[in-house]
Amino acid sequence: MYTIEHLSHTADIRLHLKADSREELFQAGFEAMNQIIKPDACRKPCPCIINQMVTVSSMDDTTLLIDFLSDVLTLAHEHKAVFCELTILELNPTHLQAHIAGRPANGFEEDIKAVTYHEANVQQNNQGQWETPLIFDI
Amino acid sequence: MSIKKNQLTKLQDYLWELPKETRPDMRVPARVYALEELLDAILNDRSLEQLANVATLPGIVKASMVMPDVHEGYGFPIGGVAATRYPDGVISPGGIGYDINCGVRLLISDLSYNEVKHRLEELSKEMYRQVPSGMGKGGFVKLSAKEMDQVLRNGAAWAVEHGHGAPADLEYTESHGCLPDADPGKVSDPAKKRGRDQLGTIGSGNHFVEVGRVGQVFDEEAAAAYGLKLHQITILIHTGSRGLGHQVATDYLRIMMGAMPKYGISLPDRELACVPLSSPEGQDYFKAMCAAANFAWCNRQVITAECRKAWSNVFGKAGGELKLMYDVAHNIAKIEDHVIDGEKMKVIVHRKGATRAFGPHYGELPEAYRPFGQPVLIPGSMGTASYVLSGTDESMVSSFGSTCHGAGRRLSRRGAKKQVDAPKLIRELKEKGIYIQAGSHRGVAEEAPIAYKDVDLVVETVHQAGIAKKVVKLRPLGVVKG
Repeated sequence: MYTIEHLSHTADIRLHLKADSREELFQAGFEAMNQIIKPDACRKPCPCIINQMVTVSSMDDTTLLIDFLSDVLTLAHEHKAVFCELTILELNPTHLQAHIAGRPANGFEEDIKAVTYHEANVQQNNQGQWETPLIFDI
Repeated sequence: MSIKKNQLTKLQDYLWELPKETRPDMRVPARVYALEELLDAILNDRSLEQLANVATLPGIVKASMVMPDVHEGYGFPIGGVAATRYPDGVISPGGIGYDINCGVRLLISDLSYNEVKHRLEELSKEMYRQVPSGMGKGGFVKLSAKEMDQVLRNGAAWAVEHGHGAPADLEYTESHGCLPDADPGKVSDPAKKRGRDQLGTIGSGNHFVEVGRVGQVFDEEAAAAYGLKLHQITILIHTGSRGLGHQVATDYLRIMMGAMPKYGISLPDRELACVPLSSPEGQDYFKAMCAAANFAWCNRQVITAECRKAWSNVFGKAGGELKLMYDVAHNIAKIEDHVIDGEKMKVIVHRKGATRAFGPHYGELPEAYRPFGQPVLIPGSMGTASYVLSGTDESMVSSFGSTCHGAGRRLSRRGAKKQVDAPKLIRELKEKGIYIQAGSHRGVAEEAPIAYKDVDLVVETVHQAGIAKKVVKLRPLGVVKG
């Protein structure tokens, strides 16, 4: 289970993600980004005709999440697609391998410039949940 | 650490300083250009904490600075200026922003308000048809791999050579629309893929094409030299390097974060990631940034051609020419000479949401503009006003030849959406003679005038500070948004 909370930011989009597991935190970031690019595009069953593998190695949990989302964003722009399905095949604090599937977007609602490292800090809280702030530059 | 007003020293009515001693990691003081009326809003978000972070950059000289349109960003605040020692001071992609060479250009027409006032809605609609947002769809120009490299190397000149403008346009563009240090080989394939069909597109957010008129003239001589006169119809274009520039910034932030330990650099915010300009990573980024800047100038040049087509479709030959008045970058780093503590120094000037404002007699300027300084274009919000200013000698002394870049946000996008009824706003603006053509009501609400500071106060600050001088005020008549 995960939650996506919207917080205030003067110019960009600031979220707070909270999840029961590290995998779900990545799912939360993935869904949050989709909701910005093309809200509700993934509500309908997905005839997912665009399939991509994403492999990321980073310094730590936090950079891994940001780098993963950045790579998905890049693929979304390259393929003009919205990726609705995420299957994590391998995940540890510095490495991720995943399969993503999506469909042509026919235009985006919002042009996310980047997933930023600013304020991002993946950590486990006292309840054992995984959480981090997340800021998208739009 | 939240910055409080009592931590700031008032140096002038328009200039405040956060002393270097505020934090042990600050290498220089931090300066804020703002009239007191603007300061409370500035203290409301994290702008000044971010400005203090910028003051920790290795090699920074004199002071980190923000302009009166400052607001919270990520890493650097928007409205920030920082200069680092050349060549060993750092270069930071965060000091330029993801939208490399986001900037503004102004086109001027031969027609006056009375000649077009009955056709403004038609003109706005035609502009909307001719200038795509390109979000997730692309634009009318598709580049081959070879053409992409030519664009990255040659900038606006590529567009002119391919029928999207006249050679004279290049003379009226900052750096003539091309940074010679660009190296397409330093731009990643994903960046090139993102950009291949984005020339001639404005994107979303605060980017726009705006039809306006000269509503007030402050400096008759400078206005005449710039070709501006009362009631003249103008077109303002605000956009940047689109996905290509965003990807360049993303790629190099990742590279620099990995390289920083090698150079013994540790910073309070990952978005400030930086390396010495002289390092291999610094050189690679600089060359890629120059290439992305060239892409942005080419983009604004192609949009200029699209605007000219829309203009011609509406007014035919009777509309005359749309002449390029000037084009300025406001997200860029440049190697420039400045006098610091009485000594001429070469520095790497980062402007993130700040405009170059070079004073009179600068050789790059068109001859007619030289006695008055470089034109500075300040877009306001839809429904308020924009300005043309001129650069000054004082800006060269005080702010590394820099000034503000817009009105500056004061409300978050969510805050604006909660307060603004977009269809009502569009109706109200239409009643005032301002026609909005936008891709979504959400975009209109987010960019409503209420979301922005008072552009008059922002401009008054830089005018009083002498870091730019008022020339004319532009009133909006039609706004095209993605």
